[in-house]
Amino acid sequence: MPISRREFIGGTVAAPLLLIAQKPPSRPKLAAVCTIYHRMSHAQHIVDRFLDGYGWNSTHHHPPMDLVALFVDQVGNDDLSRERATRYPQMKIYPTIAEALTRGTGKLAVDGVVLVGEHGHYERNEKGQTKYPRYEFFQQIVKVFRASGRSVPVFNDKHLSWNWDWAKEMYDTSRDLKFAFMAGSSLPVTWRTPSLEMPAGVRVREAMCVCYGGVDSYDFHGLETMQCMVERRKGGESGVKWLQAYRGENFWKAHQAGVWPHDLVEAALSRSHTLTPAREGFNDILPTLDDMRRIVKDPVAYRYEHADGLHSTMLLMSGLVSDFNFAARIEGRAEPFSTQMYLPMPDGRTTLANFFTPQVNNMEKMFLTGRPAYPVERTLLTTGLTAAGVESLFRNQTRFDTPHLAIHYQATKESTFWRT
Amino acid sequence: MPTRIAVVTTVYRYLTHAQHEADRFLVGYPHNGKWHRPDAKIVSLYVDQKPEGDLSGARATEFGFKVYPTIAEALRCGGEKLAVDAVLIIGEHGDYPRNEKGQVLYPRYEFFKQCVDVFEKDGRAVPVFNDKHLSYSFEKAKWMVDASKRLKFPMLAGSSLPVTWRLPDIELALGCEIEEALMVGVGESDPMDYHALEAMQCMIERRNGGETGVKAVEMIEGEAVWKAGNDGRWSKELLTAALSRSDTPQGLTVKDGRTQDLVHNGELPKLVKDPAAYFIEYSDGLKATLLMLNGALTDFNFAARVKGLGLQSTQFLLTPTPNVTYSACLMGKVEEMFTTGKAPYPVERTLIVSGILESCLTSRIQGHKRLETPHLNVRYQAPRDSQHCRA
Repeated sequence: MPISRREFIGGTVAAPLLLIAQKPPSRPKLAAVCTIYHRMSHAQHIVDRFLDGYGWNSTHHHPPMDLVALFVDQVGNDDLSRERATRYPQMKIYPTIAEALTRGTGKLAVDGVVLVGEHGHYERNEKGQTKYPRYEFFQQIVKVFRASGRSVPVFNDKHLSWNWDWAKEMYDTSRDLKFAFMAGSSLPVTWRTPSLEMPAGVRVREAMCVCYGGVDSYDFHGLETMQCMVERRKGGESGVKWLQAYRGENFWKAHQAGVWPHDLVEAALSRSHTLTPAREGFNDILPTLDDMRRIVKDPVAYRYEHADGLHSTMLLMSGLVSDFNFAARIEGRAEPFSTQMYLPMPDGRTTLANFFTPQVNNMEKMFLTGRPAYPVERTLLTTGLTAAGVESLFRNQTRFDTPHLAIHYQATKESTFWRT
Repeated sequence: MPTRIAVVTTVYRYLTHAQHEADRFLVGYPHNGKWHRPDAKIVSLYVDQKPEGDLSGARATEFGFKVYPTIAEALRCGGEKLAVDAVLIIGEHGDYPRNEKGQVLYPRYEFFKQCVDVFEKDGRAVPVFNDKHLSYSFEKAKWMVDASKRLKFPMLAGSSLPVTWRLPDIELALGCEIEEALMVGVGESDPMDYHALEAMQCMIERRNGGETGVKAVEMIEGEAVWKAGNDGRWSKELLTAALSRSDTPQGLTVKDGRTQDLVHNGELPKLVKDPAAYFIEYSDGLKATLLMLNGALTDFNFAARVKGLGLQSTQFLLTPTPNVTYSACLMGKVEEMFTTGKAPYPVERTLIVSGILESCLTSRIQGHKRLETPHLNVRYQAPRDSQHCRA
């Protein structure tokens, strides 16, 4: 009887603690570990693309890999995972994360893991952070890796954890066990209007993102929007020294005092496709400061300084825009450099959240090559910045020093956003 | 000195073309990453209909221009002679009848002719922009273009689709060899099929030899459209490519969010109750098809097979209401013509598409028969540089 590949691997592991990074098979098998799977949840957007395929480069692309195991933490009346498993019988649903990863064999039996810990009913803490169990899921995943003496690439959707120490532990574990680890938002990889990349090696003085949404939620997307651009600057990323949050009246005072540059706010607003008209009867008009004060009920800013002196500012201006707009002041250019990270948002504008398409495509690259398509350190930093923003707000909008965010990394040479 | 503009329009209500196009010259618009304030001033306005919600009076008061009762008076600002540097004709929206082909009889030709009358009487002509197609009638459209040549004034026209953002931001290389092209559009005829046809035209006009005209058209509807696909009269491969760019598949996607391969999952005929195919045979042999697929999606997508490159496809991004920033892209081009005195792309594009649409709708009422179109021998060269929003 021929020996199956899995038995062969299982039988030749010399010691449980010796973890071997292996070349991925030509057609990897994947497990997805999710909090909840309903219409318009991140799990639905991401896992569906592995099952049903998606539009890519003039064809309906089917990822050259098989999602064979699924764990869903919360199954409600609106659950879709059972329907998906019926239509795709090769994907089995397992009651625990360990079983999903081992598929009943007692040993790791997949070549990659997709962790989607967004949406679902989880508690909020006193700081307003939703305690999505990404760290807990991750711990269960690496427990299987350790027990099996083998680890495989992991993608973690959005930030690593609401808790900085846990996020750092996740990162350190991925290094200890030497598996490819990728994470983050779809903002860095979606379309841009215009389709521009930050030139590599430039000196960036100021960066700005004008976007929308709530704290410990879309703030992370705004931070990733900026970070995927500024990480390309001269010297690469050097980490962040401090962050200060501004909210409500403090926000407007800071704005008026010129704490962040107004020309970059205007440049970012000039990239928006969703500017709320400040005057009745006009469809697209630049708001004055008074207009903005009237339109934006709960503005939030995170302003922070990188170790090399770059200042970055993220403005959550819900009510005024519902898109993500980036602007930066680059040395040697008279005009701001700006673009919009375009999300075809299914809030009535579209039916498909196609910004998940380039995110899944980049995951595929990792599962096929065993190497992350972009550095997880970006998301480690933006995870820390999100938590720092929450912390600064919790501490009455005082400046929060972030020596723990001395995170250094280099951007990828190649662009990884959607442009083909 | 700011450019003095006369606006000649059918109706000026919130979210009409007149409002979101003319307003750009009043309050500025997003352009190349800045809030651009044109060095231009609207000095006069003619508006044909003033239904409830009319904004023309309020705009005139706030921005210091006058509404005149006739087009000639608007162009002369109440004086004896032409007193403006440019004319913006926006003949879209408003209450106008339809003809037997279903075309809305917007009075663009009639408006334009009155402008030309002033130019001729006063011995001076200025640049004119005509929003959307030139006229429902090719004969009238041809007269308009001929008049601009005769009086030597720059003329620009057409839809915003050719100049809006593209996802992805592609441009076909000038002189490429296009083997076949297909466009997917949605909406009502005749406003929306026009947009789709012009979007396709701005891509395929870049082919080797330039535009040399259309020799025949045919429009079919209903079951015949699916049969034509099965018979290979339009390419399923190109439809797949075009739909790969859509963000708006309907049906199962709306129901439970899933992605769909609409060409192969059998859903398309269930979703589209009244499909239409517009077949266009160009003089140089190129075959192009517009599929109007109401019910399947709500965006505009193009695909072509290009020699040496394979499939090329893109979505013409119609940014959301109310900003409709695509009209800012278009007004950027209009302003460019007003400033430089040169149309950034040829009005012949709009002329040929006006004629293609009219002939397709004629085919429709004549039993969907193939019509030879010797009158559509419109020749022109595409601009060398890209004209769509990409900066």
